[in-house]
Amino acid sequence: MVNLLRRPVSNAESCWAVVAGRIMMVAILGWALRPADAQEPPVHFMVPPGLPPGAIGAQQLTRGGPLAGYFQPVEIRTPEGVLISLAEEGRFSTPVPVPLRLGLLVGQVYRFGLINVPTREGAELFPTIEVINRLYTPRGQETRFPIVIELTREDLSLALDGKLVTRVIYLEDPKRAVPVRQIDKGQGGFDVGPGQDPLTVADVLGRPMAIVRVGGRVPDHAQAPDPGFLFGCPPLLRLSPKAANGPQARTAAAVAAPSAAPGRTRR
Amino acid sequence: MTRAFTPTATAASMPPLWRIVLVTLCTLILSSCRGPGSSPQGLPGGMGAAPPAPPHQGSSTLPPEAYTGPAVLPAGAWSGVPQGPPGMERGVPLPYVPVGPWAPPGIALPWPPDEYLADGGDGGIQAAVTPENQVRGLEMEDTVAHYDTIDGRTAVEPSNRIYLYSPRFGAVRQVVGVQLNEQLDRTLGVSVPEQAISQEGRRSLGSHKQQVQTVRQIGQKSTTTFRTKQGDGAMSAATGPRLFSDAFKPYENLTAIRTGQHQTAQMARLAQGVTAAIAWSHDLRVQVLLDAQAAAAVARHEKVETVFAVGEPPTEAKLRIIKVASTPFAEPGDTVDFTIRFDNVGSQPIRRVTILDSLTPRLEYVPDSTQSSIAANFSSSRNEGDSLVLRWELPEPLPPGKGGVLRFTCRVR
Repeated sequence: MVNLLRRPVSNAESCWAVVAGRIMMVAILGWALRPADAQEPPVHFMVPPGLPPGAIGAQQLTRGGPLAGYFQPVEIRTPEGVLISLAEEGRFSTPVPVPLRLGLLVGQVYRFGLINVPTREGAELFPTIEVINRLYTPRGQETRFPIVIELTREDLSLALDGKLVTRVIYLEDPKRAVPVRQIDKGQGGFDVGPGQDPLTVADVLGRPMAIVRVGGRVPDHAQAPDPGFLFGCPPLLRLSPKAANGPQARTAAAVAAPSAAPGRTRR
Repeated sequence: MTRAFTPTATAASMPPLWRIVLVTLCTLILSSCRGPGSSPQGLPGGMGAAPPAPPHQGSSTLPPEAYTGPAVLPAGAWSGVPQGPPGMERGVPLPYVPVGPWAPPGIALPWPPDEYLADGGDGGIQAAVTPENQVRGLEMEDTVAHYDTIDGRTAVEPSNRIYLYSPRFGAVRQVVGVQLNEQLDRTLGVSVPEQAISQEGRRSLGSHKQQVQTVRQIGQKSTTTFRTKQGDGAMSAATGPRLFSDAFKPYENLTAIRTGQHQTAQMARLAQGVTAAIAWSHDLRVQVLLDAQAAAAVARHEKVETVFAVGEPPTEAKLRIIKVASTPFAEPGDTVDFTIRFDNVGSQPIRRVTILDSLTPRLEYVPDSTQSSIAANFSSSRNEGDSLVLRWELPEPLPPGKGGVLRFTCRVR
């Protein structure tokens, strides 16, 4: 009886194949026996840095879940005296004082105007806010627990000096939270260098919720800004300041329910 | 004819590249398998999981000659208030389903956990007491009590876990200058032509008939009734907030907190703030006492009678600890009152009762806010989260049926 080989194999070729196979097996076993996922910090998503405003939020919407059409309550805090105007219907509205509570759509980019910056008379800033995730607050408490976005005096000064300030707001992990009183110290923060991605750092520290970009860019025409500059003026909800558990808050919470259709309600 | 086995011939029976690819695929498939998800925080009783299936009821399998009428009690027998079915004295956790807008199916509640402050229970590594009386495995958010029994054992009992909705936000800032203003151009669209693949599946039609013989199964389970020492009335009549600055607070208006006695009607309220509550009474079961001895009814099929067997319940050391909070929601800066109710629900006295509460980093203990209904030595120490571990030690043994109430205040950071 004779065994016929499909093709002649030399001893050297077979030896190389065996060695390569064993190396690959060791590599695969090493990857398979890596530490369990539970031992690693909970990382929610990774995106390449440098994406333009709106790209991360749009990518979040494609991941599914009750994100699309949800008006996430947001509270904007700035130094005292700063006035903020909202981009609505193609133009900026009348400035109002802060803190300001709004319901913003997840995945959209909102342009704001800041005036009356302390020690900078006549200066204007036009930051953007991009909500990339939402809270799952128990019913009736939605407006009581908004995402807090705080712009410090230093942020505004740096932006007026020509810097681009990017703040990634993240939800702290309770077990790894900084044990300080936020009510006294303000919103805690970490600074990362230009070579690092703040979104990745925030992803390690908690759950990224919003991205704020403050730079020196101004609209071409103050009276009728470019629609691209305003990112299309997506709809928003004006929430009463510091609304807690009253009937007004419940009404706003009902409007902000995930059943609300995208773009259905304006104010 | 003898055929010699040679490696060259074996390796050549299949191309080496195909063999490596096959082994790689098999290894990837095997390593991608995951076990069933566990409760993320080791919640007692598997919070959020489906309640355990009821035991098999064999009442429908009694033979037709079995006596099913009312049991005739002998003269002098006492039929008192039921104490609960067997196993109830060990605590039957009830599933806690908080009211939320949306949660993915199959995930333990409350969800998402990073929006809640947890306190209580024994998550992670199980707490234990060393012979040197050092507590190991007490992590942040844990609340446990340990005590010594009369036979020299040291037992650890965790409390229930409570949740406060209190999200807090931080920020990561990056400042870049004009010199780093680089333009990133990315491809807006990528066209990847895909070859159309037609898939055809053929399934043969057929019918399958399986003959299953009906089998009658008769399960015989002896009916037993377990009685504990816990009576119907107030278990700790002497326990009350006598030393407190004020009386019971509205969120403590539960008989489990005020008197130590559970009522089924209050389970829903108790379950609102805790992850697992324990039902301690059952109003439907018949209890029989003969000469102050516990009796268990034994129903036998072969005799139309009822036999009452008198047995001495085993002595058991058991400490029950319940924790409640004044509010389920808290913003940074708010103060929250916590109340811990502990009771010796066993049948023997316990000694060196120590209650430990390791606070999460977001909770700051308000100094001098602790109150105790019985004598307790209070102390505190730092934990790994730069918060405090609160410690109450009872200098006196705790007899059966006795308990106490602890209360303290925390500020949400």
